[in-house]
Amino acid sequence: MRTNETAAGSASVKRKRYPRVYRHLSAYMMMTPAIILLIIFVIIPIIYGFYLSFHRWDGFNSPVFIGTRNYIRLIERDDVFLKAVTNTIIFAISVVLVKNVLGLFLALLVNQKIKGVIFFRTALFLPVTLSFVVIGLLWSWIYNPTFGLLNAGLELVGLDSWIRAWLSDQATALGAIITVDIWKWTGFHMVLFLAGLQSIPRDLYEVAIIDGASAWTRLTRITLPLLAPVTFISVLLSLNGAFVRNFELVFVMTDGGPNHTTEVVLTHLVTQAFRFGKLGYASAMGFALFVVVAVIAFTYIRIGRSGAYNF
Amino acid sequence: MATAARQPRPETLPDLFSKALSDRLKLLLVYAILIIATVQTIYPLFWMVFGSLKTDADLFNNVWGPPRTMIWQNYVDAWRIADLGARIGNSIIITALSLTVLLIVSSIAAYALARLQFPGRQAIFLIILATMMIPPEVTVIPLFIVVRTLGILNSRFGLVFVYAGTSMAFSIFLLRGFFMSIPPELEDAALVDGANRLQVFWYVVLPLARPGLATVAIFQGMFFWNEFFLAFIFIRQAELQTIPLGLVNFFYRYSADWTLYFAALSMVTIPVIVLYVGMQRWFIEGLTAGAVKS
Repeated sequence: MRTNETAAGSASVKRKRYPRVYRHLSAYMMMTPAIILLIIFVIIPIIYGFYLSFHRWDGFNSPVFIGTRNYIRLIERDDVFLKAVTNTIIFAISVVLVKNVLGLFLALLVNQKIKGVIFFRTALFLPVTLSFVVIGLLWSWIYNPTFGLLNAGLELVGLDSWIRAWLSDQATALGAIITVDIWKWTGFHMVLFLAGLQSIPRDLYEVAIIDGASAWTRLTRITLPLLAPVTFISVLLSLNGAFVRNFELVFVMTDGGPNHTTEVVLTHLVTQAFRFGKLGYASAMGFALFVVVAVIAFTYIRIGRSGAYNF
Repeated sequence: MATAARQPRPETLPDLFSKALSDRLKLLLVYAILIIATVQTIYPLFWMVFGSLKTDADLFNNVWGPPRTMIWQNYVDAWRIADLGARIGNSIIITALSLTVLLIVSSIAAYALARLQFPGRQAIFLIILATMMIPPEVTVIPLFIVVRTLGILNSRFGLVFVYAGTSMAFSIFLLRGFFMSIPPELEDAALVDGANRLQVFWYVVLPLARPGLATVAIFQGMFFWNEFFLAFIFIRQAELQTIPLGLVNFFYRYSADWTLYFAALSMVTIPVIVLYVGMQRWFIEGLTAGAVKS
């Protein structure tokens, strides 16, 4: 609020010194490069993708208009797509839940004044800085049945019966990939929650302790409600990536296999477009994904605006 | 303060003793959990470095432990076969150019949005807010056609503009926030002294906004450096590949040189880890400040 008023204040200073046309001209000139880049690489693709999704197109000959047939085919005749949608939803829900719950839990632990806490924070955040490709390759070796760390570890603690080829077993492949995504991002959410925890005034807890509130009451009555804004952002960030930031891990670790058990919408889309040359069909998939991501983000922000900040 | 009058329950000696004991236990539990979490985070990375120095036989028979003999030759071979030098060069060029374009273009636009009044300002800001949440992955097919039509498919230049264009909205949003938090009085003084807007921006605002620019540079720089999906779609020529593409390529071309894979992965990961540990405060703030700011 304050900054808005001061911005208006500085505008009134300018108004005395510069003619109106010049002032606007310089503002538009400052905006132009950014707007051109936004139009070319963001806005045209959204509109053009919508247009393409109603066409059959191999990318070279001219597109043939086929109405909603791409969408009908997605829903009625593409079993792999339906499988990919299910997997994408499973992936999204599990990573959003686990990253945030684990992140909050770890944040509560590293928010204490204990020895070595900086080391723990630094170490737990480390995977955030590594690329999906590095992490995907590393973990596909950890899951490797002949020299993998995981099976060797299970053997060591006597859980021999759990040993399996994690990524080629249909029962475990998707879960194995989800675990890696959680491993990468939990430290990120931990730091977000930690920042939230540190902004809660200490004396609230002191008063509560004097009043005889138990640790559990303090957590549920003070900590969690006051963390609502941070929780809102943390969930929003994980939600936004959950539907699309899964391509790399799947591509590197299983390429959608075995038998499409780890196929996600994005891997299916890329296969259809660049292996089979069905650009129109892939655009329909992309546009469907766009609508899902946009609707979830905007609904969530709507709900958040009305709820999370009003405790 | 009113509640301070209420006295805490007086504690008897055994009470105190058991409280101290349970505090001890609690602390022990906290450490146990943190150590387990840390080990499962860090041990895979040690394991990667161990693997990079092992012989094949050592890798298969001695899965857990450190290498019995150090085979430094793995690094030499991996560097040569994976052509890491060229890939690292490409990654440096693409990341640096993308950041340059992004920072210049977005900071100027963000400044205009933060400080100047002009017709359409609100509409432009709303469009930026709306597109900020749309990841480029969902429009990859039409984006591919746009890039092909512009004739910049398969070029570093093309990827640079794709990166800068698709990160523009978020970067403008972040920087606008930083600019708005700078008190406008300094700029007003410079304006009264006869400086024009661009001079004010360059000499007064940018130096003050350095932390904001650093945040965007770290956040987006990490993103460009690590990015795979867009690079995979827009770069097909081996000579132009970035590190992530090169690693995947290397991995799929040679199917049994495990220790070399470990070496290649270590070579690209260790510098990032060193950089992170050295500048952890910047990294952690840079990578999360975007979220907290919004």
